[in-house]
Amino acid sequence: MADTIQEIRKKKAIQNVLSPVIAILGGLILGAIIMLAVGTNPIYAYAQMFGKSFFTPYYLAQTLVRSAPIMLAGVAAAVAWRAGYINLGMQGQMCVGGLCATLVALYFPVKTPLTTVLCFIVGMAAGAIWALIPTFFDYKFNASLIITTLMLNYATNYITDYFVAYPIKDTAGDGMALQSPQIAEAMRFFRFSKKNAMNVSVFLAIAMVILVYFILKKTRFGYESKITGLNRNFASYGGIKSSKMMFMTMAFSGALCGFAACIEIFGARYRYVNAMFSSTSYAWTGLMAMLIAKYNPILTLVYSIFLAGLSIGGQALQRTVGLPMQISDIIQCCITLFVSVKIIIDFKHKQAPETLAAKGGKA
Amino acid sequence: MNSLFVAAVINSTFRYSTPILFAALGSLYCTQCNVFNVALEGQMLAASFAAIVANYYTHSVLIASLAAVAAGMLVALLVAVFQITLGVRDMVVGTSVNLLVQSATSFLMQVIFGTRGTIQGNGMKALPKFSLKIGGLDFLNRMFESLSILDYLGYITAILIFIYLFKTVRGFHLRSVGISFEAAKSLGIKSEKVQFNSIIVSGVLCALGGLAQCMGIVTVFVENMTAGRGFIAMGAASMAGAHPIAAIFSSLFFGATISLSKTLQTYINSYFTESFPYFCTVIAMTIFGIIMMIRKKRALLSKAI
Repeated sequence: MADTIQEIRKKKAIQNVLSPVIAILGGLILGAIIMLAVGTNPIYAYAQMFGKSFFTPYYLAQTLVRSAPIMLAGVAAAVAWRAGYINLGMQGQMCVGGLCATLVALYFPVKTPLTTVLCFIVGMAAGAIWALIPTFFDYKFNASLIITTLMLNYATNYITDYFVAYPIKDTAGDGMALQSPQIAEAMRFFRFSKKNAMNVSVFLAIAMVILVYFILKKTRFGYESKITGLNRNFASYGGIKSSKMMFMTMAFSGALCGFAACIEIFGARYRYVNAMFSSTSYAWTGLMAMLIAKYNPILTLVYSIFLAGLSIGGQALQRTVGLPMQISDIIQCCITLFVSVKIIIDFKHKQAPETLAAKGGKA
Repeated sequence: MNSLFVAAVINSTFRYSTPILFAALGSLYCTQCNVFNVALEGQMLAASFAAIVANYYTHSVLIASLAAVAAGMLVALLVAVFQITLGVRDMVVGTSVNLLVQSATSFLMQVIFGTRGTIQGNGMKALPKFSLKIGGLDFLNRMFESLSILDYLGYITAILIFIYLFKTVRGFHLRSVGISFEAAKSLGIKSEKVQFNSIIVSGVLCALGGLAQCMGIVTVFVENMTAGRGFIAMGAASMAGAHPIAAIFSSLFFGATISLSKTLQTYINSYFTESFPYFCTVIAMTIFGIIMMIRKKRALLSKAI
């Protein structure tokens, strides 16, 4: 009964592909049941949802633009989580990174495309610093990273919203809108057409994800962070400095969040808008995508586009059918739960030959 | 600043600390048998929503409370099945369930009431309130003015949980699972069952917290109204070292930060005051960590001598 290593690997590879597919189907079926319960035809609804978000140019552009910050937030979470450091503060890091980049964009005297690069550097640095604060508290004083990073989300939300409500509020346009003035035209990302929101942000994001993939797979840092995540004691026994690892991982994660915020501001919004990262829940969707992808950056990218399509489709559905768009969030959470269950079933499969062998020994 | 004003702040501290205390008790109850329950937030929010929906249609506090407890238990059951029976990682279950409840409540809110934001109703009943009359002292009277049943029940529950965990055989069993899962199992304790039940109990406790949140101070449901209270409660529980009596004091501290943030709104910009409790949580956890480190050092030093 014993499988060869090749066979086990093959099985594992098949399961790695199959389990998300089954989970996604499960989530969609559950969503269909909910739709039936509230009196919507699920087949029509799903056709509308995915037909729009993936096959209509206007909505497809929106899906891709939305997926860009999601995949970056997801990869940021994956970088931290796979090393065993639970970063839940992606949203706060995005807020701080985005606000700092906007401030530079608004007040730096020279407005050229090169300034955009400066803004990105500032945004990423700000995100990294914001991630390092709770890391420092955890490392030095044992303050749980989970709680402190999450608390900073709420706190930073209020603080960054204060900026657009008072000091840098846009006074020119709509007086009621809580937002900063627009950034200079020269600093914005290139848009392919005026009809939709499609711009280079999604390609930048994909390039970044691939870069992160290589950093995690092919560099010493990536290897060491993986080992730290698998067994922290073993890692430090092997000579990996846990403090350096922790700070580097969290800074990397925070910088990616800052990058995500920057591409959203320079690619889509052109300004910092009140609650732009909390109400859109980029960070949480990214986290879900990363959990479905089991920390793999490339798969995170794929699922981010899928989840972005799901929520853009949900928004379109609310307008046409009147079904609340939260249906897509519900489906998304169910998929995450189902995917994680599949891991356990895999685990039981792996154990099965062992018990059989033991029985055989007795007889 | 007159003394009655201080009494009023203390009074609202009691009210704001109640939801945190209940959730913290739920958290530490799980911690005692080595379960890390991250879904406190979801359990509270579901209970709040169920309570307000029941209240809206029946105008009965009793039915609302039962609905809250049922909803809290239901979410806890979901968590327990995934976390204990299926062995999914606690962080994965916790974050997914929290988000699931958050989106499910806003979904149901739109389906049932057709609105977003808040559920309010004229006929909705608040929790019954009592004013303790202590002699002729205005200060004390103001301090204990119109607190709801749950505000008192919180402290009683904490004491009961203390007695259960530290003075009864079943409590010892529960804690022994926390100390060593396998050893407890080898002595005939059904470790998985103990852990499973502890999550259900935390569901009930969080439900009471959610009830205090939505029907204690004002009777209203606001979308995502728990706003991180579940995580603040987790902080309170860990600061209390998973001890129920100590949790009373840590919850009161966090209640005080929320109460202060509401009071300061008249003087300082509300964006800053709203963020105040969250910053305080981070700072408090840090200071707590420093204190624990100093204690550890002292203990080591005394051993060395």
